Amino acid sequence: MRRSTQRNVRRIAAAKILFAVLFLAIGGRAIQLQLWEGDKLMRLGQRQHLKEWIVLPKRGAVFDRTGEPLALSMESQSVYARPHRIQDPTRLARSLAPILNLPLAETKQKITSEKPFVWMKRQVSSAEAEKIQALNVDGIGMFYEPHRQYPQGQLAGQLLGFVGRDSEGLEGLELKYNDYIRGETGSSMAERDALGRRVLVQGVEGLHIPPGSDIHLTLDTSIQYMAEKELEASVMKYRAKAGVAIVVEPFTGEVLALANYPSFNPNNYAKQSPEQRRNRAVTDSFEPGSTFKTILAAASLEEGIVGKDDLFYCEMGKYPYAGKIIHDTHPYGWLPFSKILQVSSNIGFTKVAEKVKKERYYRYIEKFGFGQLSGIDLPGEVPGLVRRPESWSAIDLATHAFGQGISTTPLQLIMAYAAIANGGFLMRPYVGRRVLAPDGSVVLENQPHVVRRVISEKTAKLLASMLQDVTSEGGTGVMANVEGFEVAGKTGTAQKADPVHGGYAAKKRVGSFVGFVPANNPRLVALVLIDEPEVNVYGGIVAAPVFRNIAQGALRRLAVAPDKASPLPVAESQPEKVNRRSTRRANFPAGGNEGTADFVGLSLREALEKAQTLGLKLRIQGNGYVVKQSRAPGKGSNDEEVVLLNLQG
Amino acid sequence: MTRGVASAPARRIPGAQRERPPRREHKLNRRQFVCVALLALLLVGVVLVHVWLRLQVVKTGYVLATATKLQTRLEQENRELQIELATLTSPDRLESLARRRLGLAPPEKGQVIVLP
Repeated sequence: MRRSTQRNVRRIAAAKILFAVLFLAIGGRAIQLQLWEGDKLMRLGQRQHLKEWIVLPKRGAVFDRTGEPLALSMESQSVYARPHRIQDPTRLARSLAPILNLPLAETKQKITSEKPFVWMKRQVSSAEAEKIQALNVDGIGMFYEPHRQYPQGQLAGQLLGFVGRDSEGLEGLELKYNDYIRGETGSSMAERDALGRRVLVQGVEGLHIPPGSDIHLTLDTSIQYMAEKELEASVMKYRAKAGVAIVVEPFTGEVLALANYPSFNPNNYAKQSPEQRRNRAVTDSFEPGSTFKTILAAASLEEGIVGKDDLFYCEMGKYPYAGKIIHDTHPYGWLPFSKILQVSSNIGFTKVAEKVKKERYYRYIEKFGFGQLSGIDLPGEVPGLVRRPESWSAIDLATHAFGQGISTTPLQLIMAYAAIANGGFLMRPYVGRRVLAPDGSVVLENQPHVVRRVISEKTAKLLASMLQDVTSEGGTGVMANVEGFEVAGKTGTAQKADPVHGGYAAKKRVGSFVGFVPANNPRLVALVLIDEPEVNVYGGIVAAPVFRNIAQGALRRLAVAPDKASPLPVAESQPEKVNRRSTRRANFPAGGNEGTADFVGLSLREALEKAQTLGLKLRIQGNGYVVKQSRAPGKGSNDEEVVLLNLQG
Repeated sequence: MTRGVASAPARRIPGAQRERPPRREHKLNRRQFVCVALLALLLVGVVLVHVWLRLQVVKTGYVLATATKLQTRLEQENRELQIELATLTSPDRLESLARRRLGLAPPEKGQVIVLP
């Protein structure tokens, strides 16, 4: 008994020692793992179950003034391959090629490449992506990449610019406002399970990265579209090299349209030449030609040197000045100043310039903003070239008088005309109206900004009335006339400098028209410039009709009522479609002698048409069809006071 | 531990006071045992709750991940639809449709009537 107890005690002691040693060993190992290698092992473990999820930046959108989207961002998928993981390249190539619409040989070459990673196709459509997903092959994968879309295609392409593959704006507004609309890249560590699925246990906040801000422009898609269409039509018709059309709101400096030809579609920017990408309205300067005469006219009127009716002798078309001979297209004798502007006489303006003198003239050129940046929110603007009066030679005063030897951008020129239209203020033009953060707060807002007062309101009004003569009978800009409105403007046909031989190129011309409408209360200023037309070169012929068409459409779009009531054609000549109802119901009386006409039963449109033909004034109450008129038909006479019509739907 | 406390006095005085073990001590031992057992149970309970919570977190994580994925997909779909809408309503297309399908044209001279 005692012996067995002793043995037990010894056994127990041995077991104790054994366990103690084991515990020590385990403890030691634990200490080693936790303290010495802890950090390294934790990193190793996390690498297996934690994965960094990268959130791509969401670029803000670009909208026009009515909220129509011009640029939107989406994520499209790009297909890649890891060639060394692919088991059966031949079979895979055969199934991949038709899905991705790639040649079989190219597909196979890509998936058998030595590289560890190859792009199969960037930015595939969602249909293609689904098919790739369905294949479910090891070694082929997809990656989300941001992709910029311009749903209107080439509309305002140069103005919008474009975005590179790495989501950075490279041109136009995309570049100028890049910092606002880019959006941030974010990343977050999230756990993943054995199958690689994401388990959002932590890092949820990290995935909510606010997208970039949206830009709202001053541009009007409809006016922009009309401007582009009309510009293209004229460039094609006169076989010109290029063209620019700009429409600006004169009192604010808001750009309503800015069109360039050749056009540029930012959806596939890489395939188009830098020539197409260029926004000529701000990056190119031209010798303006006769449109610049208005600047001299403004200077001479403002300084009180020349009055509207002062007479000048136009030398019957040939005037020797500073060793050269200045020509006019038509010979003129004595002409009043307003007529000189109307027929655009070079000799007349040379004589005006002689009176104004170069220093004073230069001061106005500078005041109107020439030779300086307009400050528009677009990249790549050039200031043009205006030499200081000290370096002008004797002939320069004459050439500057009719817009040669000086260069301006189309935008500078239109802003100078906007100053005449708005009563004398040079405005800073802008395209971006406001930048809105995703939560709707305003990040940036461009307000109308007066750069300086250039001329007095009196001079501006006088000049506007003189410019109105240019588009009336006998002027150079008759074709710019818009039905029902008074147009003020000036044509220009400039020679182009020859960069190779010096001097002017024999045949190259720039035809232009700048003007505003309605002349007395301008709602828009527009400039049309046709570069190197071949069929005809005169601004009054190649550019003025474009101005008319754009202005007509734009005024309708802006709902501006005509200030001259146009005589209405007789009812019979109206298109059948419009007056279907009236032919059935109403017979227009031939004259107004049978007393007040019968309006009952007519629609509002028919009643108004009828009243207009009869020269009758109406007052309208309600909507729909006329049920009652204040004076019974046949009573009184049509040319008496206002007739009140009651309408019901 | 409980065993150690119970057997120590027995070894020191073998046989002598076997019938009368210290009742108070015994009672204390039992109370201690219950206490410790409860504590252990509590501990196990806490551990179980922790595990359950952890499972819930993972489960919710899956749900959240799926929801986020769905959200991303719907946002993407929304953007695609926006682009489609904008493309379909581009002035270029609208004009040709208005001209071709509806036979519309810009108003002729005199067709625009300004309300008095």
